[in-house]
Amino acid sequence: MLDFLQAVSDGVLFGTTYALIGIGFTLVFGVMHKLNLAYAATSIGGAYAGLLIFQVWAGAPAWAVFFCAFLGGGVLGWVVYVTCFHFIPLSNPLAPLMATVGMLLLIDEVIVHATAGMPQNYPAMFDDVMLRAGEFTLRGDLLLVGGVSVLCMIVLLALLYRTRLGLATRAVSQQPVAAQLCGIRVGQVNAMTFVITGLLGGIAGALIGASVGALSPLLTAPLTVKGLIVTVIGGLGSIPGAILAGLLVGGFENLFQLYRGVTERDLYVMLLLFAFLVFRPGGLLGPKGGHD
Amino acid sequence: MDFYYGLAQTVGVHTLLGLSAYIVLLTGQVTLAQAGFFAIGAYTAGMLTVLAGWHLVPAIGAGALTGAATACAVGFPALRVKGLMLVVATLAFGEGVRLFFFNFDYQVAKGEIKVGPVGGEGFRQIRFFQENGWTTGEVMLFIWAFVILVMAALWWFDRSRYGAVLRAVGEDEVAAQSVGVNLTAVKVSAMTVGGAVAGIGGALYAHYTTHIEHANFNVLLATFAIAYPIVGGLSNVFGTLAAVIFVQAFLIEGLRDLGDWRNLLFGALIVLAMNLRPQGLFGGRRA
Amino acid sequence: MLELRGVSRHFGGVKAVERLDLNVAEGEIFGLIGPNGSGKSTTVNVIAGLFEASGGQILFKGGNLDGLPTHRRLQLGIARTFQNIRLFGQLTVWQNLWVAQNAPEDRARRGFLSRWLGGRGGARAEMAGLLEFSGLAHKRDELAANLAFGEQRRLELARALAAKPKLLLLDEPAAGMNSEEIGQLRDRILKLRAQGMTVLLIEHVMELVMGVTDRIAVLNFGQKIAEGTPREIQNDPGVRKAYLGGA
Repeated sequence: MLDFLQAVSDGVLFGTTYALIGIGFTLVFGVMHKLNLAYAATSIGGAYAGLLIFQVWAGAPAWAVFFCAFLGGGVLGWVVYVTCFHFIPLSNPLAPLMATVGMLLLIDEVIVHATAGMPQNYPAMFDDVMLRAGEFTLRGDLLLVGGVSVLCMIVLLALLYRTRLGLATRAVSQQPVAAQLCGIRVGQVNAMTFVITGLLGGIAGALIGASVGALSPLLTAPLTVKGLIVTVIGGLGSIPGAILAGLLVGGFENLFQLYRGVTERDLYVMLLLFAFLVFRPGGLLGPKGGHD
Repeated sequence: MDFYYGLAQTVGVHTLLGLSAYIVLLTGQVTLAQAGFFAIGAYTAGMLTVLAGWHLVPAIGAGALTGAATACAVGFPALRVKGLMLVVATLAFGEGVRLFFFNFDYQVAKGEIKVGPVGGEGFRQIRFFQENGWTTGEVMLFIWAFVILVMAALWWFDRSRYGAVLRAVGEDEVAAQSVGVNLTAVKVSAMTVGGAVAGIGGALYAHYTTHIEHANFNVLLATFAIAYPIVGGLSNVFGTLAAVIFVQAFLIEGLRDLGDWRNLLFGALIVLAMNLRPQGLFGGRRA
Repeated sequence: MLELRGVSRHFGGVKAVERLDLNVAEGEIFGLIGPNGSGKSTTVNVIAGLFEASGGQILFKGGNLDGLPTHRRLQLGIARTFQNIRLFGQLTVWQNLWVAQNAPEDRARRGFLSRWLGGRGGARAEMAGLLEFSGLAHKRDELAANLAFGEQRRLELARALAAKPKLLLLDEPAAGMNSEEIGQLRDRILKLRAQGMTVLLIEHVMELVMGVTDRIAVLNFGQKIAEGTPREIQNDPGVRKAYLGGA
């Protein structure tokens, strides 16, 4: 029982990072009705960018690295927007998708080249802090991960629902042509969506690096798959759905690992996705029948 | 010369992979599952020649059959999932297949040693060509015989009513239904044919590389599969072939001059291609 | 031939079509008119099977259509055109017709392999007559997306005819046409009727409706408010009120 609770709590806390990745995918889908397959790569890329701060400030504290990752993610998000969505006519369904695949590969390879393929250590905060209740522990660094993630979600929701930019974004997602006719600069809104999700992604990447202790380009593919799974389970286009699904997947993933081991764990996560696709294609909080 | 034969073998097998995605893409279903069917064909054929002593040709046939059967089974639930969700679902399926083989052990004693797939280590010693004295050149021709066969078949489909119906479904499902097209039959059949072609490709792949493991059939391969027809354009099968040659020759050339920057080039190449020519190299006669 | 008994279609709280009774006799040209939003297109979509009826029954040649998917209804003999043309733009004119050759007599005549994988030779000959009728013979190999608007409308109709239907549902076929084109459309519809076709015509363009239909039903807010001959409908005060709003 204790193991169960421990696995769930650790999983759910880590799952908040999946939620952030899921939000990134779902937000771009919601606004532009397109999938940005490069998103997880920009997230990890942002995390690596965070490490660049050590070039200028040798003894930088962890929070400085996280902040740098935050900014790096935003920059990468904008780059993906320009290379994949700005010039290609959006009426062509396959080309932007394929371009994001190209960016995914490109970002991955740049990382491999810059680091000679060696995993990089990542600073953590509060990793020596442990809250205990008998045998049940809550890792301090995971709590931080959870806390920062929740903070990001709150800020994002505030941005979407309390600011003019957020209003414009929601307008564009519902009726791009009408929004344009109202004077909203759709191109700018789209670019901003990518920057914002990029910022979010950078933080998520940094948090993942912090809780795992190291970064490696090998993280990109599984994170992409997991992020997409979270997005679909939560319901394409639904931010609260992505949050819920992220926690769900994080928790279940750890449970699967506890009971069936690491090698079979991901297989069960796939089965979880398929169960949703069969019984509830719209996801947790999406429309019943699913999106087009 | 062996180097060029090897390159031709790779181009041939990748063309089959690309063609398996081509036919499914015509119906408007974006599939990242082709690497999964490819893997199934590879393991099936490998196990039949190595563990059961089959001749290669029937083993390839069996690979095509298992690929087709799995694709057919995937095709039905795929109908319920629309648009971009299908991308995710097929990606997850492909990953599921890979993870399955990651955990798959089936060994048989052959004389003193054990042969067969072993989970993470993979499946070694698929030595049909070596044990039967094939030269690299002969292997290449064998592979290309299948490539030409498949290309001819798909070219024929394209010119037949089936091809027109596939494209009609890909363009407008509602209009297609309204003129009497059975969407389920068309979409599942395309998926099945794609699975068969991928199975053939996988079977050939297993035998010319002699060693396969789960990591060969990853997300990267799945994206290669759709990249070829998208970059090559969906007008005809030659687009896919051109894209494979373009990518593989470019990469290999890139490999020679720039060390191992090839994957970086591949990514940049795709981004550039999509921006400059979104309809693909041989892409449609546009309005 | 076509009978709607109390057919309704609701979208959440919106009653797009409410307890509609219609009876279209064989060989008749029946008009369905009404102001915008009165439920005409929804009715066509329900008959064609793209939407399920929320209530009521649809009978075609005596048989209930309930639960039959759209492509099966086509095979029974119901074809439709779309208000906003939905051609297969990347296919040629004759390919658009080819895809639509799904009538039972065509399916029975040629074997499975021949029908699907056979070349275009035999099919082309059959289509020649249809292309002539629609005035598209000279554009046979042109991509549908490259056709002029009037030609696209003619192809939309030709494609529906390629399926050899018994009942033709025309959804605002005259929209955007000039007088000459409307006249040609009128002639074509009358020729079809002479060949035994039954037609349900949804239309706004009164020039066409009044000139070609045998009987008309008028919808407003999803309900039938009048039915009769063109002359009767023109003189009906309720109809005038629905269109012009108030006396």
